[in-house]
Amino acid sequence: MLGAMLMAAPLVWTLLLSLKANSELMRDSGTAFSAPYTLENYRAVLQGSSAFRWLLNSLIVSTGTMIGVLILCSLAGYGFARLEFPFRRTLFVFVLLGLAIPEQAVILPRHQLFAALHLHNSYPGLILPGLAGPFGVFFMTQYFRAIPRELDEAAMLDGASRLRIFWKVLLPLTLPAQATLGVFTFLAAWNDYWWPLISATRSERFTLTVGLASAQMNYAQTSGLGFLMAQAVFASLPILIVYLLFQKQIVRAIAGTSGR
Amino acid sequence: MTAGRPARRLEGLAFVTPFLIVYLVILIYPLLMGFVLSFQRADLFGARTFVGIDNYARLAADPVFHQALGNTFKLTLLIVPALTVITLALALALNRPTRGAAWLRGLFFSSSVLSVTIVTLIWRFVLTPDAGLVAEILQAIGAEPIPFLSDRNLAIPALAVTTIWWSIGLPMMLFLAGLQQIPEDIYEAAALDRAGRWTRFWRITLPSLRRTVILVVMLQTAAQLQLFGQAQLLTAGGPSGASRPVVLFIYEASFVRWELGYAAAAAEILFMLVLLVTLAQYWAARPREGE
Amino acid sequence: MRLGQLAAVALVAGALLPTAGCDPGARAEIYVQRFFGECGALYGRETDVAKAEGECGIVTAMINRFAARNPDLQVDTNVVAWPGYAQLAAQIAAGDPPDLVTMHQSVISDYQSRGLLEPMDAILREAEVRPEDFTVAARRGVTKHGAIYGLPWDTVGGLYHVNTALFARAGLMRAGKPVLPRSAEELLAHARRFKAATGKPYLVQSQVNDPATHVRNFYTYLLAQDAPIFPDRDHIRLRTPEARRVVALFRTIDREGLTTRNQDYPAAVASFMNGEGGVFLTGTWMLGPFEQESRTPGRALFGAYAVYPYPRLWGHEAAYVDGHAWVMPKRERTPAQRQALARLLRFMAAHNFDWSRTGHLPAFQPVVESAAFAALPHRRDIAPLARIGFAPCPMPRSVLSFLPLFSGP
Repeated sequence: MLGAMLMAAPLVWTLLLSLKANSELMRDSGTAFSAPYTLENYRAVLQGSSAFRWLLNSLIVSTGTMIGVLILCSLAGYGFARLEFPFRRTLFVFVLLGLAIPEQAVILPRHQLFAALHLHNSYPGLILPGLAGPFGVFFMTQYFRAIPRELDEAAMLDGASRLRIFWKVLLPLTLPAQATLGVFTFLAAWNDYWWPLISATRSERFTLTVGLASAQMNYAQTSGLGFLMAQAVFASLPILIVYLLFQKQIVRAIAGTSGR
Repeated sequence: MTAGRPARRLEGLAFVTPFLIVYLVILIYPLLMGFVLSFQRADLFGARTFVGIDNYARLAADPVFHQALGNTFKLTLLIVPALTVITLALALALNRPTRGAAWLRGLFFSSSVLSVTIVTLIWRFVLTPDAGLVAEILQAIGAEPIPFLSDRNLAIPALAVTTIWWSIGLPMMLFLAGLQQIPEDIYEAAALDRAGRWTRFWRITLPSLRRTVILVVMLQTAAQLQLFGQAQLLTAGGPSGASRPVVLFIYEASFVRWELGYAAAAAEILFMLVLLVTLAQYWAARPREGE
Repeated sequence: MRLGQLAAVALVAGALLPTAGCDPGARAEIYVQRFFGECGALYGRETDVAKAEGECGIVTAMINRFAARNPDLQVDTNVVAWPGYAQLAAQIAAGDPPDLVTMHQSVISDYQSRGLLEPMDAILREAEVRPEDFTVAARRGVTKHGAIYGLPWDTVGGLYHVNTALFARAGLMRAGKPVLPRSAEELLAHARRFKAATGKPYLVQSQVNDPATHVRNFYTYLLAQDAPIFPDRDHIRLRTPEARRVVALFRTIDREGLTTRNQDYPAAVASFMNGEGGVFLTGTWMLGPFEQESRTPGRALFGAYAVYPYPRLWGHEAAYVDGHAWVMPKRERTPAQRQALARLLRFMAAHNFDWSRTGHLPAFQPVVESAAFAALPHRRDIAPLARIGFAPCPMPRSVLSFLPLFSGP
């Protein structure tokens, strides 16, 4: 119970601050514990057209990344788990090594590469880096391995092609894993900060994280603390809703994958 | 299927190729470029000269880099064990089918969906010594505010607490999933043997969760060795570099001082470090895996 | 081969997703990038500069007005997180910098010495902006090796913001003006007397997460003593008797509890506003908000606010200052774009007075001397900053890269 309170306190604090008039907070943030409360900050957030633009960008980038990852990783996971081809094990280990590559070791050269290809300030430029992560491949491979082989062998006897088996027989069975990987990919893309900061430098391509940072000018935090907190709540709500919708699936899916 | 063997072998390759292309171009190619860069004196804007191992030699003698390495280790050691224990305890406590437990699971997971900009914004106004939540509470009970973000001994613990709060969700979910996989009949057998709660935990639960524990520790270690956003936004690595992790060092070297080659060398060292730690953990977890 | 593959991936991805469209219309397009925050919510459609308040509001209204008055131009504004240098460096590295961008004068030399900025003498002439009109501090700020690399926009520096009601209780008022110390010893004497009389600390300081405050105090008093900070290109010299004197003073203040402690910037602002201390050492940008408080009945600062440059404690009058400027990163531009930029620069220069309502000092001497400026509250008192202000060395870049937001603008 104490843990829950510790966990919730910062969130409640944020909510309270977002409901207070900025001028009051500037003099004493302790006033957040008492009325009067106001929705003024939320009105200000909604009136600023940019917040919606950033929200839209974040949705496009996160959804694009999620779909891309699901396609690439399902294909690769099936390939690594079920099919025989030259250097399969070597390639798999090669992909796993990627788990140890820190973003920072590649971000600068990647920035230059994307500059040469004129990919900055574009949706593909924001989406592509998210597709290269090896975690999804590892995750999907494990999941495919856990599916009994008898299933595809039966289908094989019926004369189905590999692609058909993948598409009709196995893919439907991986739906929980797709949901899990999808949610985590979506979250990671939604919250990514450094890459969009240096790649999306024009405000019409800002994602929410970068846009919110641009709105925080130096001393705005004293004069507009409530406004900032309202923005924070506004930016987090969609993603919280997505999570709450999928919560059951996530637990069930992880249960189906992690222990095997 | 009537297709010949070679065709079938290529078929397998066709499934993994799309990912491999993206992986090679977006991850491996920049990694190699970074490796080349680390042997050059290079700035952000194009000038390049080959300097051999100069950058590495400079890093070896750079007290700021040493401090950053030390901070990174401190943060990882503070965060990973605590996070593992806390999330395991939470999973044990919340692994029941009641509405209340579901609600609490949602609460503990909720912070993970926030972006780093928002997490740090929130925590700044929790920790800030005069107007923060902690300060308000301390003042209410008549105590002095604590300067978490500006005391060289408190900055790292403050970052650790923030990070733990932020990352509780995923490991907790992994543990919950692990718990749900332990067959009920094992516990029933234990109940017949009149095993106490502790015995059951040590004898049944923990061994069954071994793989999950390993997974959590490995994922978190790799993640925390790369901690960046919290440090940049909450303390800017201060005071006097007391909370600057390696990644912030890399960021400053590249985007603040424009020393691309130097930054690349530091990034290569971090890569080797993460790789070594991951392999070491993998190796340490491996031998007893005969079950 | 890899490039070929990548191009294929990019093509596919590009075909699947909407990409940035570019307008092939005949209007000259200029791309302006600035910090000062995003306030489209409040001022997104405001074109009356006089109605806007604060840095963000005024600059937003100004650019709106320019765009409205020049319908033949397409002005794209990009607001970046303060101070925006990581993005600017990334943009330059990517070969796509903005046409005009805000830059601290102290940072200009970093970019200029690397050949990344265009000299602006010619375009300023075209814009009919006369560098002779720049204030001393502004001209110093944008001139590198004899050429001008920016349109100076203001001078920003530290000030002594004074709570005159508390000063009166401590007997530190003469003829309606606060008595400021003339030496370090006198400052300590005043501070002790102040504390004895009011029970409150003499100084309010934001010391947490605000390295810029320390830099301002330290450099200002080193400059006053003519202490050589940079003996050569590669070294900084801080172990000098002059430096020790400054540090010793601030240590004594801290030890004797003559200052607020453990406050970050918002906390220090709140504490000064609530009348918890006598003098707040912070920048020009707080003049407006404090002035507002002093006109609001019932507030601690009501009728009790005054503001001055840092008093001379050692040596001569000095102020470590910085300023904002508009600079042009090197890139290809069409003659039409250059001409559009000249018009924008001219407009910005002509509206320098409006910007000075932020509390910053104007960058143009005629504005400093104008009746309109003198009529703004307190401006006469702080005007000397435009004369004595000097930035021999940049604010350390690590300070400016400090994204967390509490340092000065």
